[in-house]
Amino acid sequence: MKYRPTSFLANAVLVFSLLLLVIVGIFYSGAVSKRSSTTSLHLTQADWQVHDAQGFNAPPPALDSASLPNTWQHAALPLAPPIALLRQASTKTNATLVHTTWLRLSVPGLPSYSGPLALYGARIKTDGTIAVYVNGRLVHRAQEQGPLWNGTRTPLWVVLDTHADNAPVSEILIRLEHTQGTRVAVSSLWLGPVETLKVRYHLRQWLQQELPAILSMAFLTVGIFALFVWLRRRHETGYLLFFNLAVTSFLRSLHFYMGVPIANDWFAWLTVNSLLWLVVVVHFFLCQLHGRQVTWFTRALVGVAGMVGVLTLPVLAVLPNTPKVTPLIYPIAALMGAAVGWVGGVNAWRRSNEGVLVAIGVSICTLLGVSDWLLQNNFVSPEGWYFGAYTNAITFGIFGTLMYRRYVNAIDEVEQLNASLAERLRLREAELEESHQRLREIEQRQLLSDERQRLMQDMHDGLGSTLISAIRSVEQGRMRDTEVSQLLKDCMDDLKLAIDSMEPVEADLLLLLATLRFRLEPRMEGANVALIWDVKELPALNWLDPSSALNILRIVQESVANILRHTRATVIRVATAVEGAGVRVIIEDNGQGFDVAAALWRSSGRGLQNQQRRAQAIDGRVAWVSGESGTRFTLWLPLQRENSVST
Amino acid sequence: MELPATGQTPPLIHVAIVEDDLGFRRALTEAIESAQDIRLAGIAGTRAEGLKLLQSAPTDVLLVDLGLPDGSGIDVIKAAVQQWTSCSVMVATNFGDETHVIRSIEAGASGYLLKDSSPAKIVDEIRSLASGGSPISPIIARQVLARFRQIGVGGASPPITPDETPQLLSAREKEVLELITKGFTANEIAKLMELSTFTVRSFVRRIYTKLKVTSKAEAIYEARSLGLLNE
Repeated sequence: MKYRPTSFLANAVLVFSLLLLVIVGIFYSGAVSKRSSTTSLHLTQADWQVHDAQGFNAPPPALDSASLPNTWQHAALPLAPPIALLRQASTKTNATLVHTTWLRLSVPGLPSYSGPLALYGARIKTDGTIAVYVNGRLVHRAQEQGPLWNGTRTPLWVVLDTHADNAPVSEILIRLEHTQGTRVAVSSLWLGPVETLKVRYHLRQWLQQELPAILSMAFLTVGIFALFVWLRRRHETGYLLFFNLAVTSFLRSLHFYMGVPIANDWFAWLTVNSLLWLVVVVHFFLCQLHGRQVTWFTRALVGVAGMVGVLTLPVLAVLPNTPKVTPLIYPIAALMGAAVGWVGGVNAWRRSNEGVLVAIGVSICTLLGVSDWLLQNNFVSPEGWYFGAYTNAITFGIFGTLMYRRYVNAIDEVEQLNASLAERLRLREAELEESHQRLREIEQRQLLSDERQRLMQDMHDGLGSTLISAIRSVEQGRMRDTEVSQLLKDCMDDLKLAIDSMEPVEADLLLLLATLRFRLEPRMEGANVALIWDVKELPALNWLDPSSALNILRIVQESVANILRHTRATVIRVATAVEGAGVRVIIEDNGQGFDVAAALWRSSGRGLQNQQRRAQAIDGRVAWVSGESGTRFTLWLPLQRENSVST
Repeated sequence: MELPATGQTPPLIHVAIVEDDLGFRRALTEAIESAQDIRLAGIAGTRAEGLKLLQSAPTDVLLVDLGLPDGSGIDVIKAAVQQWTSCSVMVATNFGDETHVIRSIEAGASGYLLKDSSPAKIVDEIRSLASGGSPISPIIARQVLARFRQIGVGGASPPITPDETPQLLSAREKEVLELITKGFTANEIAKLMELSTFTVRSFVRRIYTKLKVTSKAEAIYEARSLGLLNE
């Protein structure tokens, strides 16, 4: 991979993609915010009163507010009476005694509007049924089966039917049942055209429920990706922790958008406990990042989480996971979160920027959780937002950043590694080249030394000894001039053949024989011997190196010399043939022949013995067949030699 | 054999010698003097004398030794090719080894003479050369074939001037060379190919000329690719 300057095309793709997002955004918000000319009515004043009753009752289909006791108190919306948390938790679950909170809102008069009207409120919180009456008629019911997990996050949205009487809305009555000790909360309400209020409703619905759900899903998906990474790379537990974080986080946020009735069941247990687990997982993550041992702290965290987990087990029901008790559990989580943030931040400080980032993240999440807790427990206006749903987004964002950094760094590292590998490879190649060079030099020296030895041997056996005997003979005056001349000519032939053996013959035995003929031609002509050149094409002998070539030349030279010297032949025939796994060089003459066995035994038959020795040296064979009508000499040479010197 | 028919007066062959070896010079002089149709026109003993000799009237044959006391005979061969265009240059060599002979042929020589040749052989070679023939040995033939094979394979040399274009061997020329590497003599080849011996020897001369041209073209091409020569 190489870095290339961002091309025009890449820029165009980027701009196009962003433009698509912007267009979708504009389209979406444009579709939602179709402004109506009629403004809606903000209802911020109400009368309220609380009744006691025996058990929950289904709301009657019609109800006149005048039938209620006239003990109305005035209140401004949003209404959020303070909760005594400890009392709320300690009250025995007494299903029979139920409070009913009534809210009466009088509508001062709406500008006439022909379209459908809607009633919208950011939040109505109760753990019993919700019923809304308009002009004394029941128009909306919710939570008939008891409180839902996402109840407090679901905005009130009632589209009012237009009735035959077409009477304007004059009064809204809200009936909220709730158990003893708990308190309700009601935001201010809006009444107006559907088109106008839909924007507020959808925005709240989307930000409070849908967007967190999407983010939670995305986080889980990336978590599953991390799991698969871990499956292939078991030693990198960070990926497993990330998966665990995603799952825990997913579990924790399920209750933000699941319309499941609240009960002390496993779902509740998971919902409550996963928050603690989440904190613990983040702590483990931080430990990995800053790499310090905080054993005592880890033990304490795991201990607390484990203890809460056991105590809140639905089967034990020591601490029920109900909204009455959980407000007392969550501060533990907040404390743990703060502690993890603090300990992590301190340990990661100047050691791991990523650790600091995570510590900051966990602190922010803890603050968001605290804000949720305050909202849930009527410490702040019920028109506020549950930001806790976005802890997911923050966790996802921070760990996504970490993953992104890891990923980009990994690519960089791989690239650097590749570059350094290439560099090392280059160095190794250079080294190899150098050592090859040395080897070649050694080989070359060896070759030269072999060659020198070979030539020395040849000079010593042939040229040298012939010259010495010639000098001696001349000095002693035993030789005639013609004899000396002949002897020197022999020496010259020897020398020429030695030189020829060094010429490149390229495995061509025929070329070698041709060279020999070319050298011996003048002597044959001088001896008046006719030469019949009867050679045939031969396969290449790949072992034919200078040393073997000289041996062959000497063998054949000796053979021809013997004929010229000792027989009175008039014709010499040289032939070649392929025979089995070898080739044959045949030299025939029409001389008087000789006794081969005797010649080999005689000391004067050193020439024949030399031929045998030289043939053996190249894995070849020589043979003589001699008779009255001439001699047939055969040199057999193998096509392949196993211990070939030339490689 | 390839002598002109007797009866006619054979044209005189003028020979010049550039050789420092007095023994060989004497052998040469004796061999030439023994022949009716050959005249010794000049003798030089060094490279400088050889180059000076080229200022005089050209001879038919120039015999040059490569190892001269004041330099290489190759220079004399090159100068002779330039100045004595009608002269056939022959290199005198001890062994007729490939390195010396090929180098001389590339420089422009048309033949070579082994120094230990008999007087009859010497005279024969001079006559053959003067009449347009050239000698060759199996190893030289193989080497020449190899040279032309290289050109045939990698012969992508860009066109140079027409007379410098590398030339390829004709089929018959190739056949002659191949038969020589198998050990056949010029006489045998003549019989095999139904030619005269003289034709075979003149084929060899043509091959040498092509080799000279080709090696020159190669040298120019190499020099150009090395940037030694301007376009």
